Amino acid sequence: MAKKKKKKKVSPVKNQVAEHVEQVPLEHEPSVADDAISEQEKIAEEEAEDLLATNIVRAKDVHKIFKMGDEEVHALKGVDFKVNRGEYVALMGPSGSGKSTLFNMIGGLDKPNAGRVFIDEVDIAALSTFELAWLRCHKIGYIFQTFNLIPVATALDNVMLPMLFADVQQSEAQDKAVELLRKVGLGERVFHKPVQMSGGQQQRVAVARALANDPAIVLADEPTGNLDSVTGRQIIELLREINKTEGVTVISATHDYKMLTVCDRIAWLTDGAIERYASRDELEIKEGSTDGE
Amino acid sequence: MREMEQIIILPYRKVLQIAWQGMRIRLLKTFLVTSCIALALAFLTFIMCSNGMVEQLGERASEQLQQRLAREGLLEQLLSTEQRSQTAWMLGIALMISFAGIVNAMLISVTERFREIGTMKCLGGLDSFIVKLYLAESLFQGTVGTTIGIVVGVVLAYVEGLNRFGSEAFQLLPIVTLVQILVISFVAGVVLTVLGALYPAWSAAKMEPVDAMRSEV
Ligand SMILES: Nc1ncnc2c1ncn2[C@@H]1O[C@H](COP(=O)(O)OP(=O)(O)O)[C@@H](O)[C@H]1O
Ligand SMILES: [Mg+2]
Repeated sequence: MAKKKKKKKVSPVKNQVAEHVEQVPLEHEPSVADDAISEQEKIAEEEAEDLLATNIVRAKDVHKIFKMGDEEVHALKGVDFKVNRGEYVALMGPSGSGKSTLFNMIGGLDKPNAGRVFIDEVDIAALSTFELAWLRCHKIGYIFQTFNLIPVATALDNVMLPMLFADVQQSEAQDKAVELLRKVGLGERVFHKPVQMSGGQQQRVAVARALANDPAIVLADEPTGNLDSVTGRQIIELLREINKTEGVTVISATHDYKMLTVCDRIAWLTDGAIERYASRDELEIKEGSTDGE
Repeated sequence: MREMEQIIILPYRKVLQIAWQGMRIRLLKTFLVTSCIALALAFLTFIMCSNGMVEQLGERASEQLQQRLAREGLLEQLLSTEQRSQTAWMLGIALMISFAGIVNAMLISVTERFREIGTMKCLGGLDSFIVKLYLAESLFQGTVGTTIGIVVGVVLAYVEGLNRFGSEAFQLLPIVTLVQILVISFVAGVVLTVLGALYPAWSAAKMEPVDAMRSEV
């Protein structure tokens, strides 16, 4: 497989940090210090704290403003958000609080008006088109409220699609897709199309698709939003299982309190800013007293 | 800092394979769009051919045929100024129908797939892949639809010619004119189809993935 690699010159300090962070075995070429440090890296070096950070996802003072005619909606008002590797974080907040907007920023699906997003300590605003596509393809798996499967394609073809972009060999991709579909409990429905499946089954296909290229992060935006509570629960537990067994970092936006039982940490988003964080334990105490709303 | 790798640019063979597979699973849609193109082109070619024949009546028709047509009062009518302006109108309408029909069909069939384009971008699809995919699809549909349309149009024009002018219909249209008509129709059909598909595909491809996925049609 002839993967093109862009050789980046990396300063030794940052390299050490990366080495330290490195847990997932990924192809990684340690490069030596070079005089010619690129412009972006200079900017990065100005901010010493960035070098010491070791989060898999880090958003820094992210702003997003939507313009609709004369009206401006300030959807994100300086969000700071950090996620550790292997965590399962629930992004909680009422409808309209900016969860989806933040989700899109973290996933590199939209650009913030101000602030920065780092994935594995790489500023995604500095990535080239090809690098950004690689990030979306290999590093992140996306799950949407509306499933977003290719409607005319079978479950198998849907799961194979990201592998096609990753240039995985056809037969290899097929085997892996079948295996993933089996893992999410759809071994019998490999050749079914989305219209022939229930919402829960479609979302399972989406989960399998998100895992196709072994991502480090799975982003889920209201994955249970269109599902009944039992099916929703199954999807959540599936995500938790993947998080536990594969060590995949899961970030899941929701306004559904039932989803919180599986997460490690909760970030509360209110009106475009992170209001506070809560750990699972804190939540359980609260849940015990309020009976989980 | 870990270095970021770059996505592979899929080879043309693979893009063609995906385009072909896509058209096969959307068989009905593909068929409808292609028929729409064929219909528009059949109309255009028919009008151009039968206009061409009438224009040549004075020069290329035999004495006999001219006399017969004159007797029936057809010659005068066919060569009258009203008839000529009507012919020009017909040609204009044919062009407009082709343009609007084809561009509209392509526009709709691509915009209803905006969400899919956004999803593909989320999964690692490059803008150039999306453009190539739609280029391949529209080239195929354009070529097939146009070819079918042209054949149908020419055949119909000659059937009509045979009806009106007898076997001389085959001599009326100079071969050069016929070739011209074929070339113009073919180029117009394919170009309109490809542009009609590429314009929306390109605008969706260069959107941020969320914007492409959000657009409901
Ligand atoms: N594309 C858009 N255009 C205009 N306003 C938007 C757009 N997307 C989101 N918003 C606005 O931004 C705010 C946050 O939306 P969103 O992130 O979807 O919230 P949530 O996912 O928490 O329900 C809302 O006020 C919403 O109306
Ligand atoms: Mg939302």
